[in-house]
Amino acid sequence: MLGLIYNELLVLGGRWRSYIGFIGISILMPLILWGFYQGGEELHKDYVRELGGTFMVVGSILNSFLATYIIMNTLWIHIPFLVTLAAGDSVAADGANGIFRTTLTRPVSRIKILISKLFSTYIYTASLLIFCAFWSLGIGSIILGTGDLIVIDNGILILDESQAWIRMAFSFFLAILVMCTVSTICFMFSAMVNNAVGPIIGTMFLIIVGYMIIGIPLEIFKKIEPYIFVKYFNVWWDAFKDPIPWGEIGKKLGVLGVYSAVCFGIATFVFLKKDIKT
Amino acid sequence: MILETINLSKSFGLRKAVDSLNLGIPDGSVYGFLGPNGSGKSTTIRMMTALISPDDGEVLIQGNSVQKLGNKTLSEVGALIEKADFHKHLSGETNLKMLARMVGTEMSRVQTVLDRTGLGTRGKDKVKTYSQGMKQRLGIAQALLSNPKLLILDEPTNGLDPQGKKEVRDLVRELSTEGITIFISSHLLDEVQKICSHVAMISLGKLITSGKMEDLLRDSDLLMTEVHVDQVEISVKLLSALEWVHRCDVVSGVLRVGIEKEKASELVQYLVQNNIKISAIIPRTSLEDLYLSKFGKKSQI
Repeated sequence: MLGLIYNELLVLGGRWRSYIGFIGISILMPLILWGFYQGGEELHKDYVRELGGTFMVVGSILNSFLATYIIMNTLWIHIPFLVTLAAGDSVAADGANGIFRTTLTRPVSRIKILISKLFSTYIYTASLLIFCAFWSLGIGSIILGTGDLIVIDNGILILDESQAWIRMAFSFFLAILVMCTVSTICFMFSAMVNNAVGPIIGTMFLIIVGYMIIGIPLEIFKKIEPYIFVKYFNVWWDAFKDPIPWGEIGKKLGVLGVYSAVCFGIATFVFLKKDIKT
Repeated sequence: MILETINLSKSFGLRKAVDSLNLGIPDGSVYGFLGPNGSGKSTTIRMMTALISPDDGEVLIQGNSVQKLGNKTLSEVGALIEKADFHKHLSGETNLKMLARMVGTEMSRVQTVLDRTGLGTRGKDKVKTYSQGMKQRLGIAQALLSNPKLLILDEPTNGLDPQGKKEVRDLVRELSTEGITIFISSHLLDEVQKICSHVAMISLGKLITSGKMEDLLRDSDLLMTEVHVDQVEISVKLLSALEWVHRCDVVSGVLRVGIEKEKASELVQYLVQNNIKISAIIPRTSLEDLYLSKFGKKSQI
């Protein structure tokens, strides 16, 4: 299995499309960090105003942690799109390019090939998120510095620097799991068709429709909301709550896990039955 | 039999691509698989290699059902299905190493098969820089990777220049002398005749004929014969007017006549009666003649 995963990573690493996400992040992140650097004072004032004079703030609130927290709030359409660029290709490209005529005529089960493709997609997804963290936390720390993280949600949570690092790491870990669900959905579509564009469009369509349903305050939508996977995308926020709501996190990850399992189940069923005609 | 198909059937919608096909490929044979375009050759080969599931029937490789055991039955099979496709952004060597890694084949085999197919010095180049002929040779290299006992080749000379075709033909001959059974589908009838010991012909998914090449040519209803005569042009005029003469051409000054086998003596008698002197009659039924007698027009090939 490791050999198969290694093969898939070789293919993924050699495809220029795999680097679009990394290039995109490398362009986007410096711009955002530069924006924070330039407009930091304004943001600091906004935050202090929200604190309502309850706290005496010494120095600047804006640091790499706060920047990362804000960035993570804004990238929930962009990152899934970048993730689907690789996941969409995963199975469909091999079908379209005739590679299956060579690989599936070998004594290796189709399910092993499918699992190796899924794992390599997960590795890619994780790499993309870690790269994002490298920019926002790593390079961000050099540009904006570090310090305490002040999170204003339903209340005010102040995390000291050592806690902020841990919570950020945990938050990115949860974000990786969320994006792995996106990958699996795209992977399922990829197993159904022979072109990579369809799975990308299909997945992004589901995400956008999901956001619309949970965003529109209609009774009918409220009823189906618990079944919409994007509702659980905000699980990474829970890393910044105190105490950490482990039960809530477990429930959200459970739902996303079920979604992933069902999607992979469908992908497996389709792929095992699939006639390779290309 | 190393490879058998039993009542193999497959439909795509209402179209029956393969219809109760029974084939038996003897161990050690070079088996030619012929038929017009759309006759079901590729579908049959894809069912043999577990790429397509049949609606009915099964394929047995060394007695094991491909449909029941899946890809496990392909451990001693090498296959090149239609044109060879690889990850173009990777080198030929990397592509082969990936395939070797999939099934635990020794990596040293990669260079061996690259050398054997004449790609030894180009292995490190990306596949996108390869010509069609080189890609096809890489396709044969991957088929040989696991040291197969059975090699299934679907149109292996497609896209190759005459030299490339000859190389593939020589390679197939060489492999057959090593005891590898070769099942080969090709449009090039003269090539099939040159290298195959057995042949099967299908049309509209149904088996038309199969057997040993020499038996099929000998037992063919059609007799193509070279007739050496003193007056070629007059002979052509005379024979062309006869209903039972199917073909009458002149090739390099020699008359080539296509008749039903039982009409051979009548042919001689007719020419002699018309004062044509015959110096020799040499039976020359080729696979192409046999094929055309079964399928009609040449354009169907």
